[in-house]
Amino acid sequence: MFLFAFSDFIGRFHPLLVHLPIGILLFTIVLQWLSTKEKWAALQSVIPLGYLLGAASAIVSCITGYLLGSAGEYDETVLNLHQWMGILTAFTAIAGYLFSHNQQNLKYIAFSILVLVSITGHLGGTLTHGEGYLTKAFSGAGADSVATKKALTNAQDALVYADVIEPILKEKCYSCHAASKQKGGLRLDNPDWVLKGGKNGAVLKPGNALGSELYHRVILDPIEEKHMPPKGRPQVSEKERILLEWWIAEGGDFKKQCKQLEQSPAIKQALSSLEQQQAKLDTDLPKEEVPEAPMTSINLLRSKGVTILPIAQNSHYLSANFVNLTQLEAVVLDALTSLKQQLLWLKMPKMQMAGADWKKLSALTNLRKLDLSYSNLDQESIASLSALKQLVYLNLVGTKINGTAMMSLKDLPALRELYLSGTKITSADFEALKKALVKTTIDTGGYQVATLATDTTKVMKR
Amino acid sequence: MSHNNQQLIDAANKAILEQQTRRHFFRECVTGMGAMAMGSLLGGCNWLGSKDQSGLATINTNPLMAQAPHFAPKAKSVIYLHMAGAPSQLELFDYKPDLQKLDGQDCPQSLLEGKKFAFIRGVPKMMGPQANFKQRGQSGAWISDHLPHLATVADELAFLKAVQTDQFNHGPAQLLMHTGSARLGRPSIGAWATYGLGSENSNLPGFVVLTSGGKFPDAGKSVWGSGFLPSVYQGVQCRSEGDPVLFIKDPAGMNRDLRKASIDAINEANRQTYEEFKDPETVARISQYEMAYRMQIAVPDVMNINDEPQSIHEMYGTQPGKSCFANNVLLARKLVEKGVRFVQLFDWGWDSHGTDENLAIDYGFVNKCRSMDKPVTALLLDLKQRGLLDETLVVWGGEFGRTPMQENRDGKKMPFKGRDHHTEAFTIWMAGGGIQKGVSFGETDEIGYSAISGKVDAYDIQATILNQLGFDHEKLVYPFQGRSFRLTDVHGRVINEIVA
Repeated sequence: MFLFAFSDFIGRFHPLLVHLPIGILLFTIVLQWLSTKEKWAALQSVIPLGYLLGAASAIVSCITGYLLGSAGEYDETVLNLHQWMGILTAFTAIAGYLFSHNQQNLKYIAFSILVLVSITGHLGGTLTHGEGYLTKAFSGAGADSVATKKALTNAQDALVYADVIEPILKEKCYSCHAASKQKGGLRLDNPDWVLKGGKNGAVLKPGNALGSELYHRVILDPIEEKHMPPKGRPQVSEKERILLEWWIAEGGDFKKQCKQLEQSPAIKQALSSLEQQQAKLDTDLPKEEVPEAPMTSINLLRSKGVTILPIAQNSHYLSANFVNLTQLEAVVLDALTSLKQQLLWLKMPKMQMAGADWKKLSALTNLRKLDLSYSNLDQESIASLSALKQLVYLNLVGTKINGTAMMSLKDLPALRELYLSGTKITSADFEALKKALVKTTIDTGGYQVATLATDTTKVMKR
Repeated sequence: MSHNNQQLIDAANKAILEQQTRRHFFRECVTGMGAMAMGSLLGGCNWLGSKDQSGLATINTNPLMAQAPHFAPKAKSVIYLHMAGAPSQLELFDYKPDLQKLDGQDCPQSLLEGKKFAFIRGVPKMMGPQANFKQRGQSGAWISDHLPHLATVADELAFLKAVQTDQFNHGPAQLLMHTGSARLGRPSIGAWATYGLGSENSNLPGFVVLTSGGKFPDAGKSVWGSGFLPSVYQGVQCRSEGDPVLFIKDPAGMNRDLRKASIDAINEANRQTYEEFKDPETVARISQYEMAYRMQIAVPDVMNINDEPQSIHEMYGTQPGKSCFANNVLLARKLVEKGVRFVQLFDWGWDSHGTDENLAIDYGFVNKCRSMDKPVTALLLDLKQRGLLDETLVVWGGEFGRTPMQENRDGKKMPFKGRDHHTEAFTIWMAGGGIQKGVSFGETDEIGYSAISGKVDAYDIQATILNQLGFDHEKLVYPFQGRSFRLTDVHGRVINEIVA
């Protein structure tokens, strides 16, 4: 037992020691290349020593690596390849020492070592950090998080496991418990593996969240060694925790829909917040890059008192607010439409413009948020807004818009929030609009806070 | 002859060199350094980042110019409703039926050992909730009968039930909540927000403060001060009665043109001073004069609630012409609508110790609830129907909580029911501004004494507010005394559990 523990202990030095042969051998190759130059010729005498040290450290790495690998928490095929590549590297380094007198041979050896070290190192990296770690930046971190946090259109219809639980496991557990690595012999990347459990037995006890290791490990105090995910790794959030608990407590089923399981208010909330993520993604900045906005237009707008600035630092997307302006000159409107690629958010409260000028807004096809509250936007001009296909938020509070005019906006595909308080929209119009814009939250306002007797009286001691 | 000339030239050169004293060197050097510092300061204002300097050809002398945050913001403005004195969470949001069972019993020693209270001495009695609770809305949030209106909008709120602080006196606790330090000298959160974002409306300040309740918060004006930030970022205190800003009217006999001429003359003098010494405070002064001139028109306009329709007055329960919390809440909505970034309301009178009727948990406290309930509910609904709630973060809270024990000041029985200051758990809620609706985060134990999960502190709340405004709280920094300072110092975590 002690021997086993000791070999395990030694094995854990592998991640530290591997860097020695990598460094020494690469440095030796650099020296070898330098030594071909006349100025550095004296370096030739240290080359054999470099290869000797490189070989020695490579052998030590191989031994510790073998001990670590036999603990058996890694993907077999990658591990095998990594092992043999490592051994080959060690042998090639020995060859480098033995043939160091022959300049020509040494060139080939150096080249082989360069290739071997790269491949072995990459395989080692794949073992520790998981598949695709190196190229993650190219596949796009954004794409990754979108894939794992797939937004749901209707959380109640979604599948409990596939749509709610699996994305959590994928994001927080797969890096150590999936195809490329199975710490503790546990794989979680499909229902069969989840049910099978790890080397210490089942991790899922349907109906008993606290008794299931899968949940129990998550709620352990983070300073406990058994706490999962381990310290330093992304942790399970509060929302994810209650969903996990709920899923196990409700039977740990892999097929059912959310609405088939009993839900407390907190769970309902957590589920619907998975839907909210979708709305949030829609109002975030678009992924596509746009060129910088023309400075002349911006300077012109600012000189007229428009607050116009990038939505975020290092972004070319713009927001504009006409907060102190109620009248516009034609040049200002032209400058504004010249920013049609960049302009995402536009506020023109109380703006008074001619119908022809309102129609010019239809050029701003990239707009996400548009606030025209209390403006004199008329019935005819509103139809031109139907060209704004990206519009998510539209504020027409206090305008003279009526139901017929509003119906011309029923084809806005991205619209999620529509504010119509204080307009000429009747309740019949409202019902028709609700049917036409199913994805849109329509607010017709008119809220009252009734005055209660207690609002104007005081409690006194009698 | 030529030899003589050479001697004269050498002597002249020597005389010049002798005149260049150590003092001379320092002066040149300082203006040089000052100019460099100014350059970097203004570089920070460059709204397209450092790569495009052309937009700055004319030096921007306005430190309040609108600027972009670090990332796309969820909220454009913040309304922070601070109930100064600290309202009791046990009578409003944190329902503890088990505490009722202990009502009137001696407090167990385990709750007192090693603890320090502001006024409780010896062994106090436990006191059950002095209000009836119900679950409200879809979210099932517990809200007491003291807040019948707010209960109707429970599904808009996100509760933080386990807020903690380490200060049990009003002044330091308020400072911690608003400046990130219990001691004086740090900029307040509104000042940081204005420093980062500038003002969206060039005619109004970026940060406005309104007070009610008859008294200033105990920590004084430092809770909206600018600390070591340039003073232009401090909160501008406005009044809801009389002139909104003191001395905003031109004195009798002075017309607008004369005012303009005098401000122009002062600014010209300041500009020359700036050319000479390059002190950024001079720029702040120039822009303050210019803004003051514009504010003379804009502020009385926005601060005038008389033009609001009668339905709005009824909704908020305002009392035009008087100074009261409801008026301030309505003003907050008007200011936000006009592009003010940060509106800070302080309402004094929530310090329910039980020392007199006004500070009794069953009298004065109930009346405070009544005066707060309707306007705050109206604010949420009014922002919502104007399409502004999504981009306005509303924060409600005090500086700490109140004890589950009845206060026994100096170990004696008090004339009225009251609770002492409590640091270990209290409730704050947020709404709008990209915060989830109808959620609750954090739990307290069965008697509401200590937080057991989801603990957050002032830094976490500050980090979350800055996050909603589009800032990474670790990167919004200001160099001062040789290091970069930030609002949350070395603390703070964005409370992602309530962020939508």
